[in-house]
Amino acid sequence: MSQAEAAQSSEQEWEPRILTFCCNWCSYAGADSAGTSRMQYPTNMRIIRIMCSGRLNPMFIVKGFLSGADMVMMLGCHFGDCHYLKGNFACNARMTLLKPYLQAIGINPERLYWNQISASEAIKFKETMENIVKKGKELGPIANELGVHAQGAGAQTSKKTAKAVAEDSFS
Amino acid sequence: MFYGKATDQATQERGECGGAVTAILTAALEQNLVDGALVIKRSESIYDGFPFFATTKEEIAEASGSLHCAPTLSAKVIKNYLDGARDTRIAVTCKPCDARAIVEMGKRNQINMDNIYMVGVNCAGTMPPVPAREMIRKFYEIDPDDVVKEEIAKGKLIIQTKDGEHKEVSIDTLEKEGYGRRKNCQRCEFNIPRMADIACGNWGVIGPDAGQATFIEVFTDKGQKLLDTATSSGALTLTDAPPEGIALREKLDGIMVKMAHKFMDAQFAKYDGDDKFEKMFADLDRCILCRNCIINCPICYCEECFTKKDYVMAQGTLPPEPMFHLTRLMHIGPSCVDCGQCEDGCPAEIPIAMITHMVQTDLQKATGYVPGRSLEDPIPLSEWEEVQE
Repeated sequence: MSQAEAAQSSEQEWEPRILTFCCNWCSYAGADSAGTSRMQYPTNMRIIRIMCSGRLNPMFIVKGFLSGADMVMMLGCHFGDCHYLKGNFACNARMTLLKPYLQAIGINPERLYWNQISASEAIKFKETMENIVKKGKELGPIANELGVHAQGAGAQTSKKTAKAVAEDSFS
Repeated sequence: MFYGKATDQATQERGECGGAVTAILTAALEQNLVDGALVIKRSESIYDGFPFFATTKEEIAEASGSLHCAPTLSAKVIKNYLDGARDTRIAVTCKPCDARAIVEMGKRNQINMDNIYMVGVNCAGTMPPVPAREMIRKFYEIDPDDVVKEEIAKGKLIIQTKDGEHKEVSIDTLEKEGYGRRKNCQRCEFNIPRMADIACGNWGVIGPDAGQATFIEVFTDKGQKLLDTATSSGALTLTDAPPEGIALREKLDGIMVKMAHKFMDAQFAKYDGDDKFEKMFADLDRCILCRNCIINCPICYCEECFTKKDYVMAQGTLPPEPMFHLTRLMHIGPSCVDCGQCEDGCPAEIPIAMITHMVQTDLQKATGYVPGRSLEDPIPLSEWEEVQE
């Protein structure tokens, strides 16, 4: 989320930033195939490739929200298609606990989206992206919920390190 | 369900309500059922107690009697100082939160449950030591050091002074003024430790035995073994509890659970609303990262802490990044037993126990998992293979 992007987004209409975790074997290939088929889809997402949806530590999603993502999306293989046999079941189970957890700490659980897209489903990938951007616009910036702890475009404060605070107080 | 009483006159007098717990522990030790008993021993005053591993009959006798101002938790003591009961057979007296914490740690293989005999004691709440002293001075108008005995009965805190004088004030009155039981005890729904091997207490003792005998309920085979050992060695006499007594106990339990729900709603309302995250972090940002909450928590047990990784949160910033608290809430949230140790240890006086309990109740609604209820309930996410939407 560079400064240039932030400056641009403040001038124009607000665009949600969507952090997308893609599984290497299905969804990332799906995104690839959407690209090679020259499909037009929104550019709001930043894709991070991970080897398996089961690799995703739920705290990475929370970290994503805290780092300024307005929506976080997790895309994995269909059940039974996992390259590592059971990774997507693990991911699915985590999502069932993570959503009530997000609700409990005051982040709208609808900001988290989990779906299964295979390597050949380029059209599904495109449609999912379009729907998610629409949803993100409805929900608004994450800074509304996180307040002073929001990073990126909505952040007002910069946090100092303990060292910087000490230097300030002695100078 | 029985009424139990120690046969030994001295034990009866030293112990609470007929000294049944002392008799059971002594018999288990003497009959070589256990190697020692983890008990709470009175410190210099009644406002302090410490966990103590008693290995002789005399040591157990020293620790007899109840304490309501000892903010201790036996579970982490067993893991840290008794090697998780790997090779030691331990009988442990436990409040419901101790018992739940032990069960949770047992599920995580931190405590060897085969070697643990849980002698549960009913608990209607404990009090923080320092505010308790203030409270005695303010409401009872006596010097806190003159108090020799305190007990909670019929919704009242009754104290006995050196001169043998009894004074009582209702707990409602104390709690309206901000004193009384700890905040987490007010929210506690578990007054009878049904996850322990046996549960002892004074609730439901009626008739001529009132105050002179202990109500004992047995839950497991191990509990039955404890009772058999005590009765066969002649240390304990048992009589069957009358149905009226059992009904009274259930009724008292019901009242306490209802009160707990009221307290939960009232306390959790503090963070309600659309800006829950901001409200929570207004408190949590007082954190000075001393990690007392992690050290004290019975559910936190990782050797390598996730929050010490650079990729999780920046190291060395104050207040810590929100990831610190959010990780704690995620890791222990589903299993929080609301023992209140984190809040007791917090130098910044953040209501951490309340926040964690709030997250736990929300997760409980979603997963149905009640922490520490039974060894058979699987921890959420531990049996994920079977779940398929």
